[in-house]
Amino acid sequence: MKRSVYILLSLLAILSLTLSACGQIQGLIPGGSVTVSIVYGSEKKEWLEPLVAQFNEARNKTADGKVIVVESTPMGSIESVRGILEGRLQPTVWSPASSVYIPVANAEWRKLHGSDLVTGNPNDLVLSPVVIAMWKPMAQALGWPEKAIGWADIAELATSEQGWSAYGHPEWGDFKFGHTHPAYSNSGIVSIIAEAYAATGKQRGLTEADLNDPKVREFMAAVEKSIIHYGTSTGFFAERMFERGPSYLSAAVLYENLIVAQETKRLSGQSSQIPVVAIYPKEGTFWTNNPYVVVNAPWVTEEQREAAGIFEAFLLDRPQQLKALEYGFRPADPSIPLTAPLDAEHGIDITQPKTILEIPNAAVIDKIQALWRETKKPVDLVVVMDISGSMRGDKITTARASLLEFVKKLDDRDRLQIILFSSNITTLTPLTPLGPKRQQVLDSVSGIFETGDTRLYDATLAAYQDLAANGDPNHIRAIVVLSDGADTASTQTLEEVMAQINASAGEGGNAIKIFTIAFGSDADESVLKQIAEPTGGKQYKSSPENIQKIYDEIATFF
Amino acid sequence: MYTPRINWILLILFGMAAIGVFVAALLIPSFRAVAYAPLREILLPPPAPVIVTVLYSTEKQAWLEEVVPAFEQSGANVNGHPVKIQVEKMGSWEVTNAVLDGTRKPVLISPASMLQIAALQDTSTIQFGRSLVNPADTASCRAVLRTPLVLVAWKERADVLWGQQPGASLWPNIHDALVNPKGWAAFNQPDWGYIKFGHTDPLKSNSGYMTILLMTYGYYGKTSGLTAADILNNSDYQKWFLEIEASIGQFEHSTGPLMQKMIAYGPSTYDFVAVYESTAIEQAANAVGRYGELRVYYPPATLWSDHPFCILEAEWVTPDQRKAAALFLDYLTSKPVQEVALLKYGYRPIDSSIPLEQPGSPFERYAANGFRADLSFLPEVQVPPGSALNTLRDFWARNVSR
Repeated sequence: MKRSVYILLSLLAILSLTLSACGQIQGLIPGGSVTVSIVYGSEKKEWLEPLVAQFNEARNKTADGKVIVVESTPMGSIESVRGILEGRLQPTVWSPASSVYIPVANAEWRKLHGSDLVTGNPNDLVLSPVVIAMWKPMAQALGWPEKAIGWADIAELATSEQGWSAYGHPEWGDFKFGHTHPAYSNSGIVSIIAEAYAATGKQRGLTEADLNDPKVREFMAAVEKSIIHYGTSTGFFAERMFERGPSYLSAAVLYENLIVAQETKRLSGQSSQIPVVAIYPKEGTFWTNNPYVVVNAPWVTEEQREAAGIFEAFLLDRPQQLKALEYGFRPADPSIPLTAPLDAEHGIDITQPKTILEIPNAAVIDKIQALWRETKKPVDLVVVMDISGSMRGDKITTARASLLEFVKKLDDRDRLQIILFSSNITTLTPLTPLGPKRQQVLDSVSGIFETGDTRLYDATLAAYQDLAANGDPNHIRAIVVLSDGADTASTQTLEEVMAQINASAGEGGNAIKIFTIAFGSDADESVLKQIAEPTGGKQYKSSPENIQKIYDEIATFF
Repeated sequence: MYTPRINWILLILFGMAAIGVFVAALLIPSFRAVAYAPLREILLPPPAPVIVTVLYSTEKQAWLEEVVPAFEQSGANVNGHPVKIQVEKMGSWEVTNAVLDGTRKPVLISPASMLQIAALQDTSTIQFGRSLVNPADTASCRAVLRTPLVLVAWKERADVLWGQQPGASLWPNIHDALVNPKGWAAFNQPDWGYIKFGHTDPLKSNSGYMTILLMTYGYYGKTSGLTAADILNNSDYQKWFLEIEASIGQFEHSTGPLMQKMIAYGPSTYDFVAVYESTAIEQAANAVGRYGELRVYYPPATLWSDHPFCILEAEWVTPDQRKAAALFLDYLTSKPVQEVALLKYGYRPIDSSIPLEQPGSPFERYAANGFRADLSFLPEVQVPPGSALNTLRDFWARNVSR
């Protein structure tokens, strides 16, 4: 009797332990998860990435108990929507820098799917006005802050032969201006829309007919003439400006938050640059409002929509909105006061902007983009390609294929020279306009094969000397060097070559820029970095798998 | 000797009474409260609640979220069945549309104003041969909170545009300013760009609808007697109206977000917007320290958002639900609940015994921003017949909606 009670009790204890353990295990067994992928404008990366990590760590769940996993990718706002429209990117959420491009995105999506890509009124995540970032002494030379400065003033400065001499500062040289590439980045597209407005003297109601006026084309060409180069993202552009200083760029179209971030660095001693300030164009500007768009696309499930909504609510919640302030954004939540670092000490004025420019319709934006293609600053480009024996196999095949794609991206007005190096240095095509010779160049590139040694330094110097002699200083001048190994056969040393390049380098931002691609694991990255960085160019690490992407990114500079 | 017997008798009597109460409570839930509590919870199933479903317009959300739980906890019941309120929020016009197309079958509806009730009366009579609401019966359909439509503007800009207070020809003046290609330069303020006005989407939000109705009355310079013909047959009016609407970049879907954008973006994006006075009060503190002083301006004649709560005259509403809904209506119009609406949310109570200018009242706190407790000077435009209301909506949907 007694024994059976014990047995019964033991059984009960085991049963209850098993049951409670099941409860524990159940928490560990993934009850399924739902992934929310978000492609967003890179300028909010510093704010967003830690929040994504925090959100994922908290293992938030949908109503059905599925854990929400957010996967985020920063990308130029125009580049990302191109990817969505072409079906290459299939995110749940698209959060571009601003709503400016939504009319175009909707118009194109309608053609494909019969409905808008962006439906309803998406919520803004954080705000920041588009501004002209300028070094404070330069802004003061223009009369800032007493005098309001606009896009037209920038245009006048850009077109003046005298540059900064006209403002009593010959030592500053030319006015060097920059904005990102309009086919990739939001600030690029708003820059050229603002140029079109400034050319017509309008602030709203811009029509296709307005753009037919020859003076619009002249005006845009004049402003674009002062551009040192384009670029893929606004964040990257800001980084270069603040790293390289006023001899590289006098002013660039950026977002207010990037200026606050730079001034925060400067004031805390992390940057030794002179102060930079935000100029709010007097004719009006645009806001970056960072809309949170759950795309109206067939690949978004109801469950993802729900999960995306939960992540959105998290981003709009007060603690996350307060964080935005730290990164120089104006929170979308109006109950958060605009306090430090949003102040004059950090180069900005929160009572600005005074007015905005109206977002034109899709057809007008398309036409402005076409006009820009015709008026943009042409590039004089020398491609220097390693065809030494070690390029055999996959390497030479992918290098050839990606160079072909790269050449296709250049405009007819661009001038292209191609130099091949191995034991010898040969010019495949001289520096002449691409238009008339495009097919011939494509055919020649297709016939490239590998042989011999690596005369990297000699070839680089040859390219530089050719471009310095034959390039047009009014064009963007650049060299792209691809190499897969260390120099084995040059007659000159790296130091000798760099000394000659530095001695003849022009003025800061307008100097010839060298972009180097370290192709494959045997490439000498450190040498290629030493070649690229002093010129204002950039060194890339690449492999046959991603060489196309690297060429694509370099193309955004032009 | 006799005592135990008496005790037994008493015990039996008490026991019978207790059982009686339990039996009664099983049959009639009102008795449940009398039953012995520990046993009651074990033996008696809780009486089924009477559920009152409410479709209401979004701007009342914060107030309702505060008062609904308080009402449920107040012990309100119908024959012992507790009353449970289930709310769902949507745009005012979406409320009436959901009822008309049958996607929702609520007991109570509460759009932002009597305009929707008038339109619903008209449309449901046409559609079903009888009205789904009866605004003539104040026991089942009455206004609960009041707030007028106002203009909110950055003072610096309003000073230039209309001075201290807009005059009688406010709407014609607004039209002329908006369509002037010179924009603010015509007022010697070239740095302010073009003139920017905002109101919400009239197909979704009541305040947007009220605005286009006031504009239309403003065009005709009258405050009553608007007809469908005024909208359909006058091309001068149509041109004038569409010019104003063409100057508006984006129509927000509801009033709260429009006001929030006014404050977040400042005068660069909106010089002035049309919103409810209560919405303006809700955001008044947030505007401080941003883009200068924000002020409220009363148009020469206005419309009131009066937040009617109406029990539907529909076959799906049971007599118990009607009673429960009536209890909820009485609660909403009770003094403490009305005071909360005033002090915390800036609504004008329907209970006229509650003074607007009392300590803690937003009308005292924000008096310097132009809020006025006494609006006896302010004429109200007449709510036109349902046919005119629906015509204006259709006209906007055909010509402006984007």
